[in-house]
Amino acid sequence: MKIIFAFVLLVTSSLSILAQQKTPPPPGPVRPLNLPKFTEKKLSNGLTVVLAPLPNVPKLSAILTFRSATNGTDRAAHPGIAQIASGLVNEGTDTRTSKQIKEELRSIGGSLGLGSDPDQTTMTATALSEFSSRMFDLMSDVTQHASFPESELKLAQENTIQQIRAGRANPNFLVNERFQKAVFGDHPYGFVVPDEKSISALTREDLKTFVTKYYIPNAAHLIVVGDIDVDKTYAEIEKAFGGWKSGTVPPDENPPLPVRDKRQIYFVNRPGSIQSAIYIGNISIPRSHADYFAIRTADTIYGSSFYSRLTRNIRESKGYTYSPFSSSNTQAKTGSFVAGAFVRNEVTGPTLLEIFYELDRMRVLPVTDEELNAAKEFSVGNFSVELASQLGLAGRINTIYTYNLSKTFIDDFRPKIEALTTADIQKAAAKYFDTYHAAIVIVGDWEKVKDQVTPFGDVTMYDAEGNVVK
Amino acid sequence: MHRPVSKLLVTVIAMMLGISSLQAKPLNVPVVYYKLPNGLKVVISEDHIAPVVTVGVYYNVGFRVEPKGRTGFAHLFEHMMFQGSANVKKFEHAKYVEANGGSTNGHKDFDYTNYYETLPSNRLEMALWLEADRMRSLDISEENLKNQQNVVSEEVRVNVLNQPYQFFEWIELWKNAFTNWNNSHNGYGELNEINAATIEDVRSFFKTYYAPNNAVLTIVGDVDANEVKKMVEKQFGALAAQPAPPRVDLSEPAQTKEKRVSQTDKLANLPALATGYHIPAQSSPDFPAMALLAQILQGDDSSRWFQRLVKEKELTLDLTGGLNYFGNEFDYTGPMIMTTRTTYKPGHTADEVLKEMDAVLAELVTKGVTEKELADAKVRYRSNFYSQLESSFGKAHLLSVLALFRDDPNQINSLLTPFENVTAAQIKSAAAKYLVASNRTVIDRVPEAKTQTGQ
Repeated sequence: MKIIFAFVLLVTSSLSILAQQKTPPPPGPVRPLNLPKFTEKKLSNGLTVVLAPLPNVPKLSAILTFRSATNGTDRAAHPGIAQIASGLVNEGTDTRTSKQIKEELRSIGGSLGLGSDPDQTTMTATALSEFSSRMFDLMSDVTQHASFPESELKLAQENTIQQIRAGRANPNFLVNERFQKAVFGDHPYGFVVPDEKSISALTREDLKTFVTKYYIPNAAHLIVVGDIDVDKTYAEIEKAFGGWKSGTVPPDENPPLPVRDKRQIYFVNRPGSIQSAIYIGNISIPRSHADYFAIRTADTIYGSSFYSRLTRNIRESKGYTYSPFSSSNTQAKTGSFVAGAFVRNEVTGPTLLEIFYELDRMRVLPVTDEELNAAKEFSVGNFSVELASQLGLAGRINTIYTYNLSKTFIDDFRPKIEALTTADIQKAAAKYFDTYHAAIVIVGDWEKVKDQVTPFGDVTMYDAEGNVVK
Repeated sequence: MHRPVSKLLVTVIAMMLGISSLQAKPLNVPVVYYKLPNGLKVVISEDHIAPVVTVGVYYNVGFRVEPKGRTGFAHLFEHMMFQGSANVKKFEHAKYVEANGGSTNGHKDFDYTNYYETLPSNRLEMALWLEADRMRSLDISEENLKNQQNVVSEEVRVNVLNQPYQFFEWIELWKNAFTNWNNSHNGYGELNEINAATIEDVRSFFKTYYAPNNAVLTIVGDVDANEVKKMVEKQFGALAAQPAPPRVDLSEPAQTKEKRVSQTDKLANLPALATGYHIPAQSSPDFPAMALLAQILQGDDSSRWFQRLVKEKELTLDLTGGLNYFGNEFDYTGPMIMTTRTTYKPGHTADEVLKEMDAVLAELVTKGVTEKELADAKVRYRSNFYSQLESSFGKAHLLSVLALFRDDPNQINSLLTPFENVTAAQIKSAAAKYLVASNRTVIDRVPEAKTQTGQ
């Protein structure tokens, strides 16, 4: 009996080798998403507070956003002031030195960092849940009582200048800087880093005035996600931020965007470079635009997923590059679409050719149903992964308030993606993957690659400092 | 390892001081662990916070053991694992995962190579099928090998050769700090050696290392452990075990004299300095103190080296580093160094930077750390540890390496304990024992055109 049983087992398992599934197992039933419940409240000073419990670990994460402090704010008088201010407010307050702030963060297992971009300054903080009230106190102190000590300002000015100099050796920095300038020109979105003179000219008074004027609760929102009790957390926030004085919200500026009447090459010469860093793209749309879901999905199919057309072509078929990519960056006022790759000098021209070929193919022919369905699954599935992390969810909620999206954006995501047709994708590609007026930005060794590059358009040449050279 | 009496005492004192909240809450990660008859280690951990799952397959092979004359081979091989298998065409691994709502990647490290997918949990069995298919029947062709040699060469160019500093705080530091080739060679790979690899190399590496008995399969997420067991049996049960891979000698003679290296950099604009100190093995009683010491010296902006170099002396622009250049305290097995990298300001010298680093160490060795500093470092350590557990991938990673290197993923729930128990005296003695000049390697890397003036 035992022997027979063993024999049967053996046969079964050899059969299972022979009959090893040739096709993937089908999916099981869909599991419920169980999104955290959001609570939105407003303090009397106008601060919008959004709370979402996500107790995956005993920590909490917060994003406090100042919508009036953008990289473009006051840039005529003080270029770069938002960036320098965001780097300095956590280097000293009326009651804490820089070192005390860092030590307090260590003792709550926390972090607190700020950054500014064309639409906002964000303060991102995390801590162990047991220390949540101390985290809010620190955030509030840094927001309202930054003291900009002279020694810290001087150090930040020196170090920022040096860091930018170090960055100018880096092709990634150079290609991004030139691309933003090529696409957005004098629009605030074209501002990347300030020049050294503007950095040196900033004073304590400038910075104090800036944060008093623009770090204001009635143009701010605070998103908190994590292992929290909603009522207790809200009480802590009220206590920490209740005394923060509201201010006057400045008018929104949105100057006209530059118009490029032809395809144009912007070449940053980096002698000795053994690769060409290539960005190709143009202006697209703001996040709130109706075409957002279509361009996002076109981008997935074109170059932002691993199994994208661009990756299959210039990496998996031709071996030109390691990391081809595309990216749809939609922001508050406008956005950009960019495709790119870092390739060895010898294949610079062939890479440009294939990037354009794949862009034009998206414009001229519809994608297949299989591609579109895969892109939909990809977007919806990865969205649920993103929402399972504290900072992922907080960041997603933040976009709703910064870009003024529908409050139901997260719930609408799946149906909006699923409603897309192949015609929607082609229409979006035809409109926004505009190869005819594209900016081609290349950082590389001009002498080595010029013959491959010049057939693609007129060239404006820059050095690493950003000066036009003949 | 358990010391119930002293632990109780600590708790009582803490309660009396009103700082009971400083004590870590016990972790309770559910762990199911077993081995298939073919030797495959299987770890399952249910987590129902979101409808996602991570599947990780960790092979017990890192770049330390790649063949001589074939630097970068473990990495090239990792790319070959996406080139198709019996039932999955070239690169379609990515297609299946993404078209099912997930993402996938692989990574080579000192002592392991991993492959993983994170995707909606109802697609779990498909991910298992994909991983089983390539473990069983990797499809290797000349054409695909040539293609991936080109891709990996571009990866080395984009991340190393065309960048300022060229990863010197890893590649150059390891070349100089270690004497055993397995530890010292360039794990990213020299271009000529990446391109010298043959199809026979790929076949033999696959046969030697990519066997169920040399791997861990980990599943973390919104799943039912009993159902998962059935799927695992179905997909992986019939794979054949292979002879155990040969053991490679990774031992490293003790360093007795400081090593100093000067290099020039064609692409960098500013000078930079890297240091590496050999650290005790993970099994050493000094190891937890060493980990907290790294935290205290360079773990964050409050740390002693950061404060001294960047803030007080204003000598350097930045300071980064830690115990394991690529990972954490648990995801390697061979000899390791604590590395530090800092970009210093023009007009200063490496000696000035080193002098300040040494002065900080001298203070530590003579005066030690305060109780508050140590307690805070532990809070920071615990908080960072929780962050690693936040995502299903992070949890899968820890469980996988604990199964791979210690055959005990259940340790995840007690992993913090030795670090929570470190005393100020242990910190002081670890600093005196390991952070000495004779135990370190220093590389000063200066922009080429500026070597003469230093300006």
